[in-house]
Amino acid sequence: MSNLNISGKDIVGFLFYHYDFVQKAFDISTPDFIIDSDRFHQLIAEHNTSSERKVHLHKISTDLKFCRQLPTGEYKLNGTYTTFLEFVFDDFVLDLPETLKNRYQAVFNHFTSLQTATDETKAILFIREIIKVIEDFLNDIQGQTYRLLRDTESLKVNAENNSDLSIRIQKANYWIDEYIIPLNTILNIDNPNSVINAIIQVQRYASEKRILADTYTLKREFEKLYASSVNAKAELDQTLSKLTRELLPLLERIKSDSIILSGFYHFVENVDNPENYIVPLPDLLRKVRANVISKAFSNEAEFYIDQFNYKTPEILYEETTEEIEWLPDSSYFKEQLLKEKEVSNFYQWCFDSLKEHTENITLSKFFTVSNLILEEDLVAEYKDETRFDIQLSDAILKMPKVKIYEKLSE
Amino acid sequence: MRSYPSEHKEIVSNLLDGKFIIYPSPLFAVLQQEEFADDYKEFFKQSYGYELTIDNEFAYLSSNEVNEKRTRDFVLFLAMLCRELDYSGKNFRDTIELGSFDISETEQLLKQSSKWEILEKTSVAEFEKFIGSWASKNVIKRTGNQFKFTKAIKLFFEFAVNVANAKLKEQQESN
Repeated sequence: MSNLNISGKDIVGFLFYHYDFVQKAFDISTPDFIIDSDRFHQLIAEHNTSSERKVHLHKISTDLKFCRQLPTGEYKLNGTYTTFLEFVFDDFVLDLPETLKNRYQAVFNHFTSLQTATDETKAILFIREIIKVIEDFLNDIQGQTYRLLRDTESLKVNAENNSDLSIRIQKANYWIDEYIIPLNTILNIDNPNSVINAIIQVQRYASEKRILADTYTLKREFEKLYASSVNAKAELDQTLSKLTRELLPLLERIKSDSIILSGFYHFVENVDNPENYIVPLPDLLRKVRANVISKAFSNEAEFYIDQFNYKTPEILYEETTEEIEWLPDSSYFKEQLLKEKEVSNFYQWCFDSLKEHTENITLSKFFTVSNLILEEDLVAEYKDETRFDIQLSDAILKMPKVKIYEKLSE
Repeated sequence: MRSYPSEHKEIVSNLLDGKFIIYPSPLFAVLQQEEFADDYKEFFKQSYGYELTIDNEFAYLSSNEVNEKRTRDFVLFLAMLCRELDYSGKNFRDTIELGSFDISETEQLLKQSSKWEILEKTSVAEFEKFIGSWASKNVIKRTGNQFKFTKAIKLFFEFAVNVANAKLKEQQESN
């Protein structure tokens, strides 16, 4: 028997027993949390056939206030639920940084009011409000950063074709321009209007007031505000470092990597039509054993050489083994000559002596021996005009008859 | 040129062999100096009609007269390798720029790719020879069965970026 009034337990029970249904409704309705009427009815029907515990539209809309029907007929999930469900499912919807900016603007406003508040009760209200706004802001920004990191990781997953690559590039560009850079501005300490600066101001003020405030209650409230702002500063620093040191480089990386892949993709697609490369390939040099000439120079040279371009006869050289000719030892023959004391026909003697050593008497051999005639210690005499033939292997000599003998020493 | 650096001969012959000269090579240090950079650009232009490019980390010669057809093959190879690495969930740029590849494993990886039918018709088909010829240009460094890409690889990534950007511009204009 259910109670007439809905208690917190009913809400928690609903989420617990119909977890799958709630998750489906959440998934289908993100990011605006609006579901088409037919789709919602279908979802309920599907759930009710597969689950023992039934969901009733009337109960979840009127009693549990899980959703309400819009004038257009669609169903919108209750914001209180969706905020909690985002946390439960770890699935945050990205807010535009503008929205975040407006939200933290509230910190500024409340802080100004706090500084001028004269009434202790009012001051306490402002302090609590500031703490609440800071807390909300931190939750938001953490959720957003987490979501961005997760989506970026999934963006890294491979693209099958070029259109996927283009989407990757587009998404990376969009996130960088629309989220990360604006978020950076909001969180940048150098920007005087950044939330970090607002929080630092709050921190300083609270730090002073927690000691100097008029009453004990007020001091305690300022102490809480101080703690909250110190914590906020630390958390925002962490978030900022995630954004700038992890997310931004990662997205830039995805972007530039995807650009390279898509460039290669186009190249491969058009590899048979080089005119479609758009960008020419680098004209790398082939290994050249080049002389110092340019193309123009080489053309002229080729033209010139063509003028002489006739076939030269092929000449075959017979290989000859060169023999080193044996030459007689003149000192040996001189010795022989001197032994003779007197030779009446010197040239004939030369021929005969050589004949004892070789059959092949050439001019050079003959002259080596016959040159003995010029030796100073020999006297040559010749009277006869007549000549006789000496047959050498390579010549016939007509020689005079010469008498030769050793000069007597004086 | 008033004076030649002592590395002159090595610089000229390396570049003419189609090699990249890469930081931190002492040859690159010479080319990087302003007093030599312009002289060398002029020297190659006047003597050979070649263009000397000196980038942040590497230098190379190019010429639209002596076209190296195998550059196309190399870009194809790199494109396929990046694609395969990306598919397998690796960060392809880190892997290419810093990683070490096993020659036969890489060949297998490419052969499994649906695009092997393209590579098969190019000089990449004889993979070891292909690696060797690009190693001789200093684009790849081979050690035993392993190879790494040198900093010269950035030239080819730049090429891909230029293609992508040109294509993007073309698409924007046609829209």
